[in-house]
Amino acid sequence: MTNTQPYISIRHLQKGYKIGGEAISIFDGLDLDIPNGDFVAIMGPSGSGKSTLLNMLAGIDRPDAGELRIGNSYLNQMGEGARASWRAHNMGIVFQFYNLLPMLNAAENVELPLLLKPLSAKDRRDRVRKVLDLVGLSGRERQYPSMMSGGQQQRVGIARAIVSDPGLLLCDEPTGDLDRKSADDVLQMLRFLNQELGKTIIMVTHDPEAAKYAKRVLHLDKGNFVEEKRAA
Amino acid sequence: MSNHIKQTFIMSRANLFSLPRRLAISTSMVLSVALVVAVLAGFLAMSKGFEQALEGAGSSDIAVVLGGGTNQEMGSDIPADAIRNLQAMSGDFGVTRDAAGSLIASREIIVTIGFTPEADTLPRTLALRGMDASGPLIRDGVTLSDGRLFRPSAREIVVGARIAADFPGFEIGETVRLGALDWTVVGHFASNGSAFESEIWADLETTRAAFDRQGQVQSLRLRLHDASSLSSLNVQLQNISQTRLLAVSEANLYAAQAGRTADIIQLFGWPLALLMAIGATAGALNTMMSSVADRTVEIATLRALGFSRLSACLATWFEAIALACIGAVLGILASWLGFNGWQASTVGANNASIGFQLSVTGDVMLNAGLLGLAIGALGGAIPAFAATRLPLTAALRASG
Repeated sequence: MTNTQPYISIRHLQKGYKIGGEAISIFDGLDLDIPNGDFVAIMGPSGSGKSTLLNMLAGIDRPDAGELRIGNSYLNQMGEGARASWRAHNMGIVFQFYNLLPMLNAAENVELPLLLKPLSAKDRRDRVRKVLDLVGLSGRERQYPSMMSGGQQQRVGIARAIVSDPGLLLCDEPTGDLDRKSADDVLQMLRFLNQELGKTIIMVTHDPEAAKYAKRVLHLDKGNFVEEKRAA
Repeated sequence: MSNHIKQTFIMSRANLFSLPRRLAISTSMVLSVALVVAVLAGFLAMSKGFEQALEGAGSSDIAVVLGGGTNQEMGSDIPADAIRNLQAMSGDFGVTRDAAGSLIASREIIVTIGFTPEADTLPRTLALRGMDASGPLIRDGVTLSDGRLFRPSAREIVVGARIAADFPGFEIGETVRLGALDWTVVGHFASNGSAFESEIWADLETTRAAFDRQGQVQSLRLRLHDASSLSSLNVQLQNISQTRLLAVSEANLYAAQAGRTADIIQLFGWPLALLMAIGATAGALNTMMSSVADRTVEIATLRALGFSRLSACLATWFEAIALACIGAVLGILASWLGFNGWQASTVGANNASIGFQLSVTGDVMLNAGLLGLAIGALGGAIPAFAATRLPLTAALRASG
């Protein structure tokens, strides 16, 4: 890949489902480029394909046809095992409902992605401490998710997503379960990660206020980007 | 640690830590496995205890001569001329002789007698063995624990430890009615819990007279030089009587009896345990499917973070086996506490009661425990596979 290539390239992507024997097309020839270091908000009505696109970008789902490249990796050509390994090393996911493991404390939840890497226990502890400090949760390492507010849990979720220092961050409605104040804190955090640490962020959201934090907003409707505009 | 092992370890840890959420159904799986294991261990302990009682009674250095084409003492008949001919034979045919050059031998008969221990109790069948004075000496591992041996021509009996312990009225000096006559208890003997302890010994002639068995000999016990002498003895036996005579080692005689009864016990035990195991396996499958359903979000989240399908599969399987393992340990513990050393009795080859102790040995625990683990392994296999097929999109849509 040369520097002129976009970090994420989607070409002629097709994806559909069969529901009750009826084929439903979600994407039929979707094209999209996202440069390295971008912060993109994807908006659209329910059923427009936002989550489907995010799942394919995460390697959780596969396109039926077309090309999906992230960095040097062609996800459309990779098997399940290779995509799992790719996820472990190249991206972080922030979930709407945090998806923390309730039986693990904050530090242990954040440590999970590092367990897939050849790191010593000390290196893992140092990284976890550093990243929890970055998201403002220093001193709460031993707290369990049930002892935290929604905003704090989402910050643990963000810490888990960035602890292995991936280039790409995928966020699925990261503020969908938060009050306005907590949502703004989380969005500020994402903006910081994008602007200061250079993370490429793709965020699916229904919330226009959340979308304002992105550099670009893409509107999906019926499987196509029907509008693209710069956030104010 | 390889990556897959590390991932499996983390997933297993998450699974096991989430067990309190599924406490009721997980506990039911553990208990059903424990029940199967305990039932099987009980039957196997019974079988093992019976085997130990009979196998402990036999020595391979002692030959038991039987007549009439049977391989059991009951139904055997050895003609008097055959015994005379054998005793008259000179030369070494594998049987030990005393200082006077006579064969070390004991003629014996078994009489089964009904005995009612106490009023209002069911009658039991006991084995009274009439033997020559040398009889007790031709038994290895037998010790006179109390009193003395019977005297020739006297209506005296020496009682095995099991009978002395199980039935009242067999204290030394007491008189016991066996058949139509009274007998005096003069001694107790022990033989490390073997089947001998379920017998009553008396003088051969007195026994014959008391039960109208004059002249009868059912078996002839002979002390061999060693186990290999048995074939030499059998060659000699071909030539001394018209009646077909066969010498078997005492060890084989009792082992064959033990094997038949132990097989019957296991014939009931294994099918019952396996039927229960099928039910328990279905229960385990249900438990683990519930577990996978309960952990859908966690499994999908970890896989979305990069954990492999294999680790999801192995961790679920491990949980099933861990629960089965706990059940197996509980079952073994329960069977050991409940059954080990428990006194039981059954009817032996001579139609008399044989007492034995249930014995929860290492191989009993191993067999029952392996069945418990098999329940976990089989019951957990399909849910483990199901864990690998979870749609990961569930993780992204999951609510809290």
